Amino acid sequence: MEKSEIDRRLQTTKGFYRNYVRKFYEDAHKTKAEGTPVAWVASTFPIEMLLATNVFPVWPENYASICAAKHVSVRLCEIAESKGFSKDLCSYARCVIGSLFEKRANLPEGGLPKPDFLVTSTSACDTHYKWFQVISRHFNVPLFLLDVPYNIKGKSSSHLEKEHIEFYVSGLNQLIDFLEVQTGKKIDKRRLQETIALSDQTSKLWMEILDYRKTIPVPMGARDAFSAVFFMLCIPSTHMAIEFYTKLNSEVRKRVENNFGITEHEKYRLIWDNLPLWYNLEFFEYLKKQGAVVVAETFSHVWMGRLDPVKPMEALAKKYLPNFANCSIDRKIDLIEDLAEKFKVDGIILPTNWGCRMMSVGETIVKEEILKRLGIPSLIIDVDSSDWRSFNETQIKKRVEVFLQMLNRDN
Amino acid sequence: MSILSPFRNLLNTRHDIARNLKTKGKKVIGWSCTYTPEELIYAVSALPLMVFGDVENTKLADIYLPVNTCSFARGCFNTALKGDYDYLDGFVASSSCDNRDKIFDMWRHHAEIPYMHFVNTPHTRTKRAQTFFYEEILKLKTWLEKSFGRMIPEIRLKNAVEIYNENRRLLRRVYDLRKKEPPLISGVEALEIVLSSMVMLKENHNELLNRLLAEVSSRADPPKGGVRLLVAGSVMDNSKLLKIVEAVGGSVVADDWCTGSRYFWNLVDSNGDPLHAIADRYLNKIPSSFMLGQEERFGHSMKMAKTFDVDAAIVFTLKFCDTHLFDAPQLKEKLRTQGLPVLLLEWEHSLSGLAQMKTRIEAFIEMVGGV
Ligand code: SF4
Ligand code: SF4
Repeated sequence: MEKSEIDRRLQTTKGFYRNYVRKFYEDAHKTKAEGTPVAWVASTFPIEMLLATNVFPVWPENYASICAAKHVSVRLCEIAESKGFSKDLCSYARCVIGSLFEKRANLPEGGLPKPDFLVTSTSACDTHYKWFQVISRHFNVPLFLLDVPYNIKGKSSSHLEKEHIEFYVSGLNQLIDFLEVQTGKKIDKRRLQETIALSDQTSKLWMEILDYRKTIPVPMGARDAFSAVFFMLCIPSTHMAIEFYTKLNSEVRKRVENNFGITEHEKYRLIWDNLPLWYNLEFFEYLKKQGAVVVAETFSHVWMGRLDPVKPMEALAKKYLPNFANCSIDRKIDLIEDLAEKFKVDGIILPTNWGCRMMSVGETIVKEEILKRLGIPSLIIDVDSSDWRSFNETQIKKRVEVFLQMLNRDN
Repeated sequence: MSILSPFRNLLNTRHDIARNLKTKGKKVIGWSCTYTPEELIYAVSALPLMVFGDVENTKLADIYLPVNTCSFARGCFNTALKGDYDYLDGFVASSSCDNRDKIFDMWRHHAEIPYMHFVNTPHTRTKRAQTFFYEEILKLKTWLEKSFGRMIPEIRLKNAVEIYNENRRLLRRVYDLRKKEPPLISGVEALEIVLSSMVMLKENHNELLNRLLAEVSSRADPPKGGVRLLVAGSVMDNSKLLKIVEAVGGSVVADDWCTGSRYFWNLVDSNGDPLHAIADRYLNKIPSSFMLGQEERFGHSMKMAKTFDVDAAIVFTLKFCDTHLFDAPQLKEKLRTQGLPVLLLEWEHSLSGLAQMKTRIEAFIEMVGGV
């Protein structure tokens, strides 16, 4: 039994950390040493703009999740707290701020390479730009803020206002000016279009992969999704990403054809909202042992979107503006409703994130609305993605088990 | 009776005053962020009224909000659920922080207010941001006109600007009273004066201020003074915290928070097109922490500390207010370089943990007073 479960792991994602993530950070340090500018960037920023220039973008949030997975995040958070940063701030931010004061030798992958400049936006959370202000001050390097209008529900939750697209595009033009000053080079419009085209291709492959998970039994679980989404986040428009997703795509497709799921005993199909417990990815294995599989995550669904390379700027506006992090809660509710139907879901897990308002406030409405619209129950668990100090595993597991039993009764 | 009593009374009876105005046909429109251009609401002949939060308990809001939500925003939501503001004819929200954005969603789902409008406030002041904000203000104007069936002609706007600017000028003169040692008004009193201006018609407030300024130098009950303090932070919609500070030997003579000096420090340019001038004023006023202009914000704190000749500073944040929490340690450093002892204070709007906080403030003031 144990053995057959192990055999069910995907081949393509085996050794993912070693083969891709570690390599990415090694490259980052190497490129930096060779004189290429390194930019620190936050999620929901149109990273394509950086990948189209001779800049190496790294993602502190990704780095924080690594620190959490390697169980050093709390130590780093404590350093930040000793500098006066509140324990209630986002653990990603605390972790990375803490890492600024730690010896590189003590940090996973030698820490993040020192930034030459920082770019972030207002489109996910306040933390992004406030945190980056701290970093900018620390290294005395410039910070570019892409100012993005909050997408309050209009005609529908995904409706985009013309003024918002215009404002976004004008922000991208300012970004180009900024990048040209920072790199001393004019932006190559052709390369930008190529990058957008590659990003579109990456996105298409990723969307197909996620789509296969509609199948019963589900061919790919949350753990693999949370690893593999790395390319969508960090390097969505590279040949490496396309190569990886092509391989993953065909492996998952084969599973679908062969009716081969991640477990033999699929009983409950779940959606997982927000972030995983990076320090406890085993949690998904535990769920699997209860017969519960995660068939969709809101997280893996927010990064994609087809892009029209002919109009690169508008394409980026249309990809990033409707991101649910930048929208009223209705957008997330609609997304979850859509996923729940398409993926034949029995229940939703809504983990909040202690230091993150965006992922915490409003989850009660999600729960209520989804129950009202589809009759599908949700479980809110109050956790933190990277700071495990108040994580009570026994208690959370107990609540999950009660929740699953309730789903069982419903069936 | 103190010459300061009217302000406190107004504050305490604000709901009755608003309800009373309504019986006379006045509309009342709530707002919750000081980036809301009140002049427009005033110009549509309505009373603009800042929504304050419940302090004592927030049981209703607690049903819907997780623990890690800003307690000020929680308190405001609680009042909405309880129906304290059921007389509001409209509500104008503003995109100034994550807590507010998401709680606006909660309001829409759970509280019933006939008209709601959302103003998208940029976080930068680039030329494009100025235009964007101007367009937002235009949309607010159109919304007000449509919802309340009344046009806002330029002349009314100009008039609103004048009355509001007058209020701002008077408030600055009131603040000047605190440059003296001991100050002519206490920190608690100054706060109550500013807060009361947010819940009543500004022309009436102007009258009260004029009277105060004329009579204050001969007041019978001047504050006793103490360790001169700058208090800087997020928002303060009641005087509980300051009362503690002033009860243990502090004398709050200068402030930097949204509902204090940042609320009225900048005037609207009274020349030219009033709508543009209003948009400019709000986007370019001393920035709150959700705006990119961090240096300018810190600069304001530092300048206040200097002009009001303070001995020490308290940098306070409400729990779970991310933008201010990130700024706090940096502002502390800045003020320290100016030679000031600084106390960092995180507090719950509900004042839970009061005893411990009081001890910390007391120890800090003793420490400063001793040197
Ligand atoms: S976890 Fe939340 S607060 Fe932290 S960076 Fe992500 S969106 Fe922002
Ligand atoms: S106190 Fe802070 S978090 Fe709360 S509403 Fe104001 S700015 Fe937002």
